[in-house]
Amino acid sequence: MREIILLLKTKILSYKNSSRQEEKKRLLRVIIFFSIGLLFWFGSFLVFFRVLRYFSSIEVIGALLASKLLSMVFLTFFSLLIFSNVITALSTYFLSDDLQLLNSLPMNPSSLYAGRFIENVVNSSWTVLFFSFPVFLAYGLVYNASLFYYLNLLGVIVPFLMLSAALGIILILLLVYIFPARRLKDIILLASIFLVVGVFLFIRFLQPERLVDPESFYLVMDYISNLKTPTSPLIPSQWAANAITPFLFGNSEDWEFFLLLLWSTGLAFVVIGEWVFKRIYYDAWSKAQEAKSARLSRSRVVNCILETVLKPFPVQTRVIVLKDLKTFLRDTNQWPQLFLICALVIIYIYNFSVLPLEKSPMPTFYLENLLSFVNLGLAAFVISAIAVRFTFPSISLEGRSFWIVKSSPLELRKLVWSKFWVNFFFLLIPAEFLIITTDILMNATNFMIWLSAITIGGMTFGITSLGIGFGAWFPRFKAENVSQIATGFGGMMYMITAVSFVGLVVILEARPVYLFFMSKLRGLPLTGGELTEIVVLLFMALILNILAFILPMKLGLKKLASLEI
Amino acid sequence: MIQLIDLGKRFGNLIAVDSINLKVNPGEVFGFLGPNGAGKTTTIKMMAGLIKPSSGRVIIDGWDLAENPSQAKKVIGFIPDRPFLYEKLTALEFLRFIAGLYNLSSNGVEGKIDYLFGLFGLADWQDELIESFSHGMKQRLVMASAFLHQPKLIIVDEPMVGLDPKGAKLVKEIFRGFCDKGGTIFMSTHTLEIAEEVCDRIAIIQEGKIITVGNMKELRERVGSDEEKLESVFFKLTGGEEVRRVVEALRF
Repeated sequence: MREIILLLKTKILSYKNSSRQEEKKRLLRVIIFFSIGLLFWFGSFLVFFRVLRYFSSIEVIGALLASKLLSMVFLTFFSLLIFSNVITALSTYFLSDDLQLLNSLPMNPSSLYAGRFIENVVNSSWTVLFFSFPVFLAYGLVYNASLFYYLNLLGVIVPFLMLSAALGIILILLLVYIFPARRLKDIILLASIFLVVGVFLFIRFLQPERLVDPESFYLVMDYISNLKTPTSPLIPSQWAANAITPFLFGNSEDWEFFLLLLWSTGLAFVVIGEWVFKRIYYDAWSKAQEAKSARLSRSRVVNCILETVLKPFPVQTRVIVLKDLKTFLRDTNQWPQLFLICALVIIYIYNFSVLPLEKSPMPTFYLENLLSFVNLGLAAFVISAIAVRFTFPSISLEGRSFWIVKSSPLELRKLVWSKFWVNFFFLLIPAEFLIITTDILMNATNFMIWLSAITIGGMTFGITSLGIGFGAWFPRFKAENVSQIATGFGGMMYMITAVSFVGLVVILEARPVYLFFMSKLRGLPLTGGELTEIVVLLFMALILNILAFILPMKLGLKKLASLEI
Repeated sequence: MIQLIDLGKRFGNLIAVDSINLKVNPGEVFGFLGPNGAGKTTTIKMMAGLIKPSSGRVIIDGWDLAENPSQAKKVIGFIPDRPFLYEKLTALEFLRFIAGLYNLSSNGVEGKIDYLFGLFGLADWQDELIESFSHGMKQRLVMASAFLHQPKLIIVDEPMVGLDPKGAKLVKEIFRGFCDKGGTIFMSTHTLEIAEEVCDRIAIIQEGKIITVGNMKELRERVGSDEEKLESVFFKLTGGEEVRRVVEALRF
C-alpha cells in the first residue's frame, strides 16, 4: 500500500510543480478551458433535458425510448472508456519514461499494477465522467428521481469505471505481449479510427431523415417492438442501465442483482488483471524496449514525383516542403486524422445531396440560395476544423529538431511562408471542392456558386494564416503526437478566432446577398442606397480578409523569432 | 574567429551568464569547461543563435550575430549535446535537407555527402530512417551535417556523449585535422582528458563568469604547479575541496 501511495504522490507532486511554474500563464488558460467546458456541460444538459422532456410527454413509447437512450448512453460510455483505457494503458504501463526507473527498483509488481491502475482510471475516465453528469442529471430531473437514484448512480459508476479500466489494461497487456508496443500504437490508432469512421458512416447511411417521411412510417412500428428487447443482456453497459432504470421509470427491474453483478464482475476483472500482469508484464515490457518502430515504405516513385513537382521552387523552400511532406506521409499519427476528415467531407456532401428541398413550403429558388449561403459558413467551419488538425500543428511539428532550422542561415520568414503556401493549397482544394459540389447539388444560381467560390477562396487565406500564426504563437515542440498539439490551449484559441472570422465574413456578406436576391425575386432593380450598402459591406468583408491574412502571419513570425530553445 | 563582448544572459532572477569576454583565434581548438549549471550550454546556445543574449554581443568571423544572423550562421557548424533530428527522414534525406538549408548548389553535394558518410562510418545506414539510429549514430550524423557546408567554425556541446571509444578517437582526429587546415573548434566538455589532449586553449566558467583562460602551461602556472594534470587544475579552480568531501562521503 505504501508503494502505491508513493507512486501516486509522485504523479500528484509532478502535476502540482508544473502548475506552479506556469501559474500566471495558466490562469487565463484555466478560465477559458473552464468556461468552454461549462458551456459544453450546459449545452449537453439542455439537449438531453429537452429530448427527455419530449419523450416523457409521449404515451406508451416515451419511457421505452428514454430507457433505450439510456442503454445507448451507457454503451457509448463503455466503448469510449475501454478505448480510452487501452490508449492510456499503453503509455502508463509501457511507454512512460519513468518505467525505466520503476522497473529497476525492488518494487512489488502488485503495487506497480495498482498504482498505474488508479492513474489509468483517473486519466482516461475524467472527461467521460464530466460529460456524463449532465446526462444523468437531466434524467433525474425529467423523471423526478429521488435521492436514491443519485446514490445508486454513484454505486453503478464506480464498478463501471473499474471494469472498463481492467478490460482495457488486460487487452493492452495481451496485445503488447504478442506485438511490439511501438508498432502497436500505430495499429490501435489506425484500427480505432477505421472503427469510428465506419460507425459514423454506417449511422449516416441509415438515413435517419426517412423516419420523418410519412411514407416510411411503418418502420417506426417495427422499431417499437425492437425497443422492448434489451440491447444485449451480456454487456455490462446494459447491467448499468438496468440497475438505475427502476429509480427513473418505476418498473420492477431487479436493480440489486445488476448492481451486484457490476461490482462482482468489476472486482473480478481487477483481480484477473493483476494475475495477467504478474505473469506477462515483465516479458511484454522488455519486448516493448526491443521493438523498433514500424518501417514504412519509402517509395522511389513518390519521392521522384515530389521532387519533380517542387523543382521550380527555390532550394530552401523545396527542402522544407519535401521534409514536411515526407514526414507527413511516414507519420502514422497523422493518418487517422486524414481518415476522419475524409469521413467528415463525405458525410457533409451526402447530407446536402439528400436534403428534401422540394418538400419545403418556402420558394425553392429562395431556399436553395439561402442554404448555399449557410453552406458557405459551414464549409468554412469544416476547413477551419481541418486546419486545426494540419495547419495549426505544422510549426510545432518541427519539434525538438527546431534547433536545426534556428541555427541555420535560413530566415524564419522563409520557413513560415513555405508552410503557409503548402497548407493554403492543401486547404483550398477541399474548400473549393466542398462548396462547388454542394452548391451544384442544391441547384444554387451561378451567381451564388461564384460568390461562394470566391469568398471561400479568400477566407482560406485568412484561415491558413490564422493556423500558421497561432501555431507559431503557441508552439508545442515537446508534444508527443500531432493530436496533442491540436487539442491544446493554442488550438482552442485558433478555433475560436477562426470561427469568429468566418462568422463575421458571412454576416458582412449576408445583407448584400439578401438585397440582391430580394431585388431579383421582386423583379426590381437595386436602389442607389442599397447599392452603396452592398459596396460598403463587401469592402468591409474584404478588409477583414486582408487583416486575417496579414496580421497572424506577422505576429506569429515575430513570436517565433523571439523564441528561445 | 569568435569574439564575445560583455555577453550576458538572465532567466528571471537567475544570472546564467555574467558579462563574459572571450576571443578565440582561427585554427584553435578551444575548450570551454565548467561544472554543471555553470553557463556553458547557455553561452553556446547564444553563439549558435538559439537564444538571444540579455546583454553584449557575439561576433563570428567579423559578423555580429544580432545584426547579420544569416551571414554569421553560414560560417558556423553547430553540434548540440542532444541530437534531436527529424526522425522520419533517412540519413541521406537529412543531409540533403541540410544542404538545401545552407543553399548549397547541387554540384558536388552528393560527393560531399558520400565522403562524410564514409568518414563518420554511416555509409551502410544512409537509407535507414533516423528513428532507428542509436544515440551515438545520431551524434555522428549531426557531426556529418555540421561539416557539410564546409564551415570555418564548429561549435560543439559535449562532443563525446554517446560515442563509443572508436567514435571518440575518430572525432578527436577529425577536430584536430579540421583545425590544422585553418578551421576553429569551440567545444564544451566534461571530459577533462579530451580537453587536455585536444585543446590549444581552455576557458573555465563558473557561476556564469569566466574564471580563467589560457593554454595548459598557463593554467598550471596559475595554480602554482608544473606537474598538475588538468583534472587537478580544474578542481583547484572550481572548488576541489567539495569534490574530495563527496568522494570521502561515498566511501562511507
